Amino acid sequence: MSGLLTTSVGSFPKPDYLTHARSQFSLKKISRQELAELERRATAEVIRLQEDIGLDILVHGEMERGDMAAYFAEQLTESMAIGGLVRSYGNRYYHKPIITTKLRWQGPMTVEMWRYAQSLTDKPVKGMLTGPYTMVDWSFDEYYGDRVQAVLDMAAVLHEEAVELDKAGARYIQVDEPAASTRLDEMDLVSRGLSVVTQGLKAKTITHICYGDFARAVDQILTLPVDQLDIETANSGYDLLELFRHKRFDKELAMGVVDVHNHRIETLDEVVAGIHRGLEVVPPERLYIDPDCGLKTRTLDEAEAKLRVMVQAVRQVRRELGVD
Amino acid sequence: MLTTVVGSYPKIPNRPRPPRLRSAIARFERGEIGADELRRVEDQVTVEVIQEQAEAGLDIITDGQIRWEDDQTYFVRRMDGFSIDGLIRYFDTNTYYRQPVVEGPVRWREAVAVGDYEFAAVQSPVPVKALVTGPYTLAALSANHDYGSLRELALALAAELRHEVLALERAGAPIIQVNEPAILQQKEDFPIARQALQVMMEGVRTEAHLYTWFGDIDGLYPQILELPFAAIGLDFVKAPANWDVIARAPFTKKLGLGIIDARNTKLESVEQIVSAVRRACAIIPADMLYVNPSCGLEYLPRETAEAKLRRMVEGVQQAQGVPA
Repeated sequence: MSGLLTTSVGSFPKPDYLTHARSQFSLKKISRQELAELERRATAEVIRLQEDIGLDILVHGEMERGDMAAYFAEQLTESMAIGGLVRSYGNRYYHKPIITTKLRWQGPMTVEMWRYAQSLTDKPVKGMLTGPYTMVDWSFDEYYGDRVQAVLDMAAVLHEEAVELDKAGARYIQVDEPAASTRLDEMDLVSRGLSVVTQGLKAKTITHICYGDFARAVDQILTLPVDQLDIETANSGYDLLELFRHKRFDKELAMGVVDVHNHRIETLDEVVAGIHRGLEVVPPERLYIDPDCGLKTRTLDEAEAKLRVMVQAVRQVRRELGVD
Repeated sequence: MLTTVVGSYPKIPNRPRPPRLRSAIARFERGEIGADELRRVEDQVTVEVIQEQAEAGLDIITDGQIRWEDDQTYFVRRMDGFSIDGLIRYFDTNTYYRQPVVEGPVRWREAVAVGDYEFAAVQSPVPVKALVTGPYTLAALSANHDYGSLRELALALAAELRHEVLALERAGAPIIQVNEPAILQQKEDFPIARQALQVMMEGVRTEAHLYTWFGDIDGLYPQILELPFAAIGLDFVKAPANWDVIARAPFTKKLGLGIIDARNTKLESVEQIVSAVRRACAIIPADMLYVNPSCGLEYLPRETAEAKLRRMVEGVQQAQGVPA
């Protein structure tokens, strides 16, 4: 029996040379090709790092993406624009995209980078999409004036992208919906959007959702139309796992066992204890182990150290359980 | 009929204009400049946004809350009894604030926004209103680790924030605006908010306004008219239901008519504004209206905010039959 497969949520920290190159590119001092070259180099490093750490299911690291919503908006040039800067908190600002007309898929946005990353490893690499609800919620809407129609059209666009990833051979396709917890009364819309995106795919489908008062919408969250639900649990002291205890849940669960918003590296014992909490509610063959969220907020050293302790903890628990 | 804003103004412009405040805060955080130099940049940017608001043709403005991290932190970091914790989503926006934690008895220690008001009043060619975050909202958005109940905390905050209101009155503020958006999310707490606001405003002679956003006052109307304020500000964009609610009983106060969408870049047409103003005039005499955006303008890029204010003034002039 195999179980407790390890993975990560999506983003990795960008190396300094890439951060520098991105700013040079925005100042038009280097070409798109020069930037793309460095994105591929950084992607290769992320793949090598994950293989070295011993993860089972890899991510490409999102070296080509600045912001997970803006990246897709930049590709959808006919129906979206990149707006001005808006403050998110403190001294942090982001370019908030604008939906300018009816959304339309123009061609593959993520397949080339996925194919490149997959060519570097025998382990499966996940195809990574930002979900339709999050794309709409994190954009201004100058066209629809109707959230439902905007989300469903965005879902149709992302479905075409998912089909391309599926055809290219991606075994896992993850559709992130971090905005899903913003309005729990719209969880049905999140679900409708995801069902459009994931319809008919051969790949195993995953959605990652972030913090929120999930208890209020637990039935809808547990039945989202994907094969695997990926949630952060370490940063809530694993309280979120209690939602699964008395509910019927036959999907796979990926649980976060290291906090991505904290510099401190978790101890082996803490992570082992966390995995045991997960095993109380989901059996090992359906339980995946990963960090709480994307690692791009950490330094490369912190990200590596957190992943190493995670893999070490999983190996220990696998030995205890006699699982491969 | 007068035009005004609800509060915040975008802190930085877009290219090619330099993001001076963002750069100054980053340099301050790296220890490259001192508090005096940061203050000087905050002053410059405040003057700039005062001019932008006045040139847009507004009758009453704010200082743009340029120095405010967010509505909560700006007050609590100058009061005793609080620590400031991690980031938390502000209602259903994609903007985050640091959650105040009540660790002990709360106490107003020093003037929070009085110096800002005095600075802005000297710089501005038009009247400036002063802003205070309301005691109920501050209590509701804090983690309460000390007081026995939300009511006790809200009443304690009201008694302390009263010192700020009285100091603003002594400083000569023509209008003191108290912001209570949170009461629309927990309407059953209205008796708490009412009691707290009565404590805070008792004997205050300055014209006082109560502003809300992101919700309707269904269930609070007409009781909300009993609160000790000359004007009530409502969001008619996020909550069009407010139109029907205020038609149910005579609106006996001035109305802050939030009809310009401060959360979407789509520019309203002059006709839309004229039509909304006329609709309000059918319920309330024109000289009892303050026309303003639906909430603070910081959810928009700077240039869009400015364009929206200009359009709002144009619409109000046309509605009043003033030739362009």
